[in-house]
Amino acid sequence: MRIPRTKSAARGVAATALAIVAFGAADPAGAGRGLTIKGSDTMVILGQRWAEEYMRAHPKAVIQVTGGGSGTGIAALINGTTDICQASRPMKEDEKRKLRDRFQTMGVEIPVARDGLAIYLHESNPVEALSLEQLRGIYTGRITNWKELGGPDARIVLYSRENNSGTYVYFKDHVLGGRDYSPACQTLPGTAAVVNAVARDPHGIGYGGGAYGRGVKEIAVRKDAASPAVKPSLETVRDGSYPVSRYLYFYLRQRPTGEAKAFVDWVLSDEGQQIVTKVGYFPVK
Amino acid sequence: MAECRGVVVRVHIQAGTALLTITLLAVPAARALALDAAATDELAERVRRLEGALEGMTEQVQTMQGDVDKLRKFKFSGYVQARWETGEAKADTVQVAGSGPTLTPANNERFSIRRGRFKLTYDSAPLSQAVVYLDGSTSGSSISVRLLEAYVTLFDPWTPLKRHALTIGQFNLPFGYEIERSSAARELPERSRAENVLFPGERDRGVKLHSQWTERFETAVGIFNGPGISSAEYPTADPNRHKDLVARARWSQGVVDAAISFLDGRQLTALTGPDAHTDKRRIGVDAQVYYQVPVVGGGSLKAEWYGGHEVNPDSVKTLVTSAPGGGAPRLLRAGADAEHLATDVAGWYVMAVQNLGERFQVAARFDAWDPNTDRDHDEYERWSLAGHWFYDGFTRVTVAYDAPATERLQGGRWTDPRDNLWTVQVQHRF
Repeated sequence: MRIPRTKSAARGVAATALAIVAFGAADPAGAGRGLTIKGSDTMVILGQRWAEEYMRAHPKAVIQVTGGGSGTGIAALINGTTDICQASRPMKEDEKRKLRDRFQTMGVEIPVARDGLAIYLHESNPVEALSLEQLRGIYTGRITNWKELGGPDARIVLYSRENNSGTYVYFKDHVLGGRDYSPACQTLPGTAAVVNAVARDPHGIGYGGGAYGRGVKEIAVRKDAASPAVKPSLETVRDGSYPVSRYLYFYLRQRPTGEAKAFVDWVLSDEGQQIVTKVGYFPVK
Repeated sequence: MAECRGVVVRVHIQAGTALLTITLLAVPAARALALDAAATDELAERVRRLEGALEGMTEQVQTMQGDVDKLRKFKFSGYVQARWETGEAKADTVQVAGSGPTLTPANNERFSIRRGRFKLTYDSAPLSQAVVYLDGSTSGSSISVRLLEAYVTLFDPWTPLKRHALTIGQFNLPFGYEIERSSAARELPERSRAENVLFPGERDRGVKLHSQWTERFETAVGIFNGPGISSAEYPTADPNRHKDLVARARWSQGVVDAAISFLDGRQLTALTGPDAHTDKRRIGVDAQVYYQVPVVGGGSLKAEWYGGHEVNPDSVKTLVTSAPGGGAPRLLRAGADAEHLATDVAGWYVMAVQNLGERFQVAARFDAWDPNTDRDHDEYERWSLAGHWFYDGFTRVTVAYDAPATERLQGGRWTDPRDNLWTVQVQHRF
């Protein structure tokens, strides 16, 4: 058994520390670059409104907001290319592990708004309400004709988000019970695209954030066949009677400090939460 | 009468004037109506043409969407580690070794490609997936590209979240924390000595069932050939019928993770005549704790212990006689017991990792390996230190220092050879 040559090891420690300090001095992306926010397409309008209002009130602040989907935002949080991730679903275990691998942290989850996930139909479609079981049947391909649901004798055309979308994952986990989407489902790159597709298709059905439903019919949803049909509203989302409601989140790598903390505090303030309502979502308080 | 005639003439004149007026007004109106009708027709025609064009474009987009969906099933990923190393033992010469003779670079100051990994995954979700993983590197005296992994995974169709997965092919052994952790994520350039000796190449061919029982608890059980892909003697074949049983159970709480691993198999030592078969047994325990230092960043403490019973190369050298040059016949020394070819082994490490803000990280590890717990002066111990600078979201620059301590009998004294090593590495992950 030998004791390591402590002199050499000490020299190694000193030189390694020196190298790190040298790298630090050369850091090309230091402080003062502003705040970047990336992620959920559902939340991109909300994030942009928050950023605009915040920058108006704090002229020195620079906040850049982009979409791409919750999955994209979480990936950016993991590889360090965004300060705040907007997500319309909670982080998955494997995503938390990847974040932990790089930053030794599980991340900080901050619910910033609530959303009643809307079910969109064409305005001419006579169907007014669907149960969760019926929605599951439609999106897994078990129910294929509107006639089975009290509608016209026509094939149901399914529109969905892409799999990097938090809305896609939330719908799969909470409405489909983890089952896979029907292969007939057409995936579209944003909630606005889903709304547009359903607005043009008399036999279409889609889902997405409540703030996007223009030119389409947002129907009521039943928990089961015996439950009352409920439409998303502040009351029904808050008391949980609307069965497809969810939180919208900010994710950060660690507890926010500095500019990030000031912004998050403002988002959670009455002023920030009023913007949530204006955009079409529901405040967390 | 004349008056009456005059009235008639006046009436005629007035009627004529009215007719003329109506005619003058009606002609442009009719022309305008005709023009409007033509314009409406033209507009309707243009709308029809545009609708046709839009439908055509929609069909094209749908076709393209189908193609994009197919392409999206392919996932490319990988990383490159370009490295410069400088060791204490330096000499601007090459040494001639072996009966070949083989030219072996003797100096420890060099540029190298430690790992050049390229992974292709075809994700036929939801029920199956295939992976091909290649490694290109300048290892030793050769430049090589080799197949690191190739496997097919089948996900169970019975549980909504696909909690069980059966994998068959060549892939990582489900044993220990270090093996499952990608070299691109590891905080030190190389794994511990114990892992390197026990699991060279980390991979083998076999079949594995992975089960995620709950969000926190997972198990993996597999059957493998045994020698592993970096075996010097049997890199592609299994010399015996005995397969290795490998199992791992892991509890992941988030801030504390812990796991135990187990391996049971048989090892073959080739001899002239009946070969020697000995037990191969390994047990592993690992744990990781994560914490936050306010303002500074996240940190972690990690520890792992390996124990087992293995064929010991030193024992083989001592107990097996062979012809000059290592060739046949290879015989067990008279009176030697084949069971003594294997010895009890043990190895462990503890390491600390600390993030310094968003772009820096430091790590320190002490690891130890004892190839024969009944013998002295054969242990290996090492201090390893590393500092990382995350240049961007994909690139990491590492400066590392390794100070191994081994013992070599020289002039009647046990001394530690001069083999400390500096490593500077740039890694880009994609």
